[in-house]
Amino acid sequence: MTWKRWSYMDHWITGTPQGPRQPTFNRNHTERYLRQLETLGFTGFDTFGFTLPIYASLYGSVPAFERALQDHGFVGLTGVFAAYPYATDFAAPHRRETHDRIFADFERTAAAVDGLAVENVIVMPTNTYFQVEPVTDETIKITAELWNRVGAMLAPRGLNLTCHFEFWGAIRTEDELALFFEHTDPELVGFFCDTAQHTIAGVDPLALFRRYRDRCRGFHFKDTQRVDDFDAYRTAPDAELMATGVPRWFYEMGTPEGLVDFPALMREILDSGFDGWLTVEHDKADLGGGNFAEATAVAKWYIDNVLDSVRGGAA
Amino acid sequence: MSGFRYSYALNQWRQSPTSFVRLEDHERAFKTLSVSGFRAVELWAGTGRWSNLGRPEHLRLNYGSSAGFVGRLAECGIDAVSSLTWDPSAPAAEEGFDLRSTSRPADHARILAAVDPYLDLLTELGCDRIVVRATEPAGRIGADLDVGAVASVLERIGSAAKDRGVRLAADIDCLSPLRDAAGIASLLDSTDPDLVDLSLSTADLVVAGEDPVAIARRHVDRIGHVHLKDSHFVDSENAYLLPGAEVDMLQGNAGRRIERWFFEFGSEAGLVDAAAVLGVLGESDYSGWVVLESDQSPEPATSAMLNAWYLTHIAAAGFRAAARTEEPAR
Repeated sequence: MTWKRWSYMDHWITGTPQGPRQPTFNRNHTERYLRQLETLGFTGFDTFGFTLPIYASLYGSVPAFERALQDHGFVGLTGVFAAYPYATDFAAPHRRETHDRIFADFERTAAAVDGLAVENVIVMPTNTYFQVEPVTDETIKITAELWNRVGAMLAPRGLNLTCHFEFWGAIRTEDELALFFEHTDPELVGFFCDTAQHTIAGVDPLALFRRYRDRCRGFHFKDTQRVDDFDAYRTAPDAELMATGVPRWFYEMGTPEGLVDFPALMREILDSGFDGWLTVEHDKADLGGGNFAEATAVAKWYIDNVLDSVRGGAA
Repeated sequence: MSGFRYSYALNQWRQSPTSFVRLEDHERAFKTLSVSGFRAVELWAGTGRWSNLGRPEHLRLNYGSSAGFVGRLAECGIDAVSSLTWDPSAPAAEEGFDLRSTSRPADHARILAAVDPYLDLLTELGCDRIVVRATEPAGRIGADLDVGAVASVLERIGSAAKDRGVRLAADIDCLSPLRDAAGIASLLDSTDPDLVDLSLSTADLVVAGEDPVAIARRHVDRIGHVHLKDSHFVDSENAYLLPGAEVDMLQGNAGRRIERWFFEFGSEAGLVDAAAVLGVLGESDYSGWVVLESDQSPEPATSAMLNAWYLTHIAAAGFRAAARTEEPAR
């Protein structure tokens, strides 16, 4: 079957008279961005919680931006990503004293997308590993408390809370993931599978999907060409851009050096009955001279010409 | 309904001497165009080991053979090479940096010799169109243009091409002394319609102060190739006559300092009415290629997708349906 629900995660850099900028530079650049995604055939659009006010400013409101998306063939705004990559006195999921503040943030996010097509609120559940370590059962259980609480608030509003783990985050290994999921309610806290992040962390995303399929709410389909076998995840202040010897971790689908077995994952998804969005993401595609437009086109070509040919085992 | 087909020029992917050399970079461009709805590409002649799609010998070396190249294109979702653009006056290392002019009869034999390898290549590629720059820039020729000489060599190239199943389309660009309506008509009137077609270049016509729709209507029976691109500017000061117009005009070195003349479709400043041009072609028997370009774009992939969007939603309703069948999202 041809998978219909492909969404795009809102990473993009475009050329402007003021240099490379995000398309929200102005409405004209946003329009050009959406036209390109429409040309490629994406029908879902995920963005960041912190970008919603910018779209509201450009289009008058978040619902008006969603209508613009629909004018371009999208079903609407399908996911919102929220993150606290850096631990602060205000936002550190492993510290209970910050939970009320984080919870309030998500109440505002939920209000901002009320009535829209958003299905998933995708969250980076922890801060950087180096700020949390030592990562213990206790830090993970406290983190789980927070997301159970947020998930319980979102669920009655028709929003899935789903957790997206980073290779440099404070829940990254199979055991850490298992402990976290053990202490979260499957109905309230989902699993979001970022294929590259888990691969870099040395965890097989296909095996994770098999294990947590019942609580999986979505995917970031992106590739990597490198496993972190030298503890780069502990790099301070940032492992994604500052790791020694690895200027770029993430790649679009379809590069020969890519490590993720997307056809195998696709087969597993088809067999599983999963019916959510599959999201193309390739953040930082501009590193090393790349560009988002071409990376996105190459990824969508891979979908249309490789993944669309994948059949489930039962077929 | 006319039977013309769409293609996309690869020229702008090569933005610097060392860019667009590796085969994986070619592949990314092919895939970008394919997934955007274009199923054919236009090549352009070049020189040197890094212009490895621009010289027949280099293309064969890189892909093993012409068939190897065609096979790689097919694997990336590109079904055809629509055309190849060639400038007889452009010096090439492989030809000893020979300086030639279509307006100098003494150069014609060497021009014919130089085009020969390209005609061989096109035959191997299954491509039936060579687009030949009719003249070098006006500022280089001065007042000495001999239209009869230009016509003569184009006919001779056209004849050699025809013998191999390839047709010649004369490219009269915005720097040519023949760029206006009178110049275009004079060249077409001087050439055998059986041997020489017109390459209708919409943006070049706008820059030259002409209406591409009117030119298309006037010469619709001679059109054998179309470059469909937009421009935001008219060269109202005749900067094309500057001796170094390729830099002085087209790169903003002088005059109005316009650094980019050509654009993808869809911006408010665009001057080309693509829908009207396609309408003229659609009403005619034109069955050749309509080739879009990212010419002068800093982001050729972006421009290609925006051009595809424009064709789909504004200018050519049948564009997408012909390229890919899409089912609605749930």
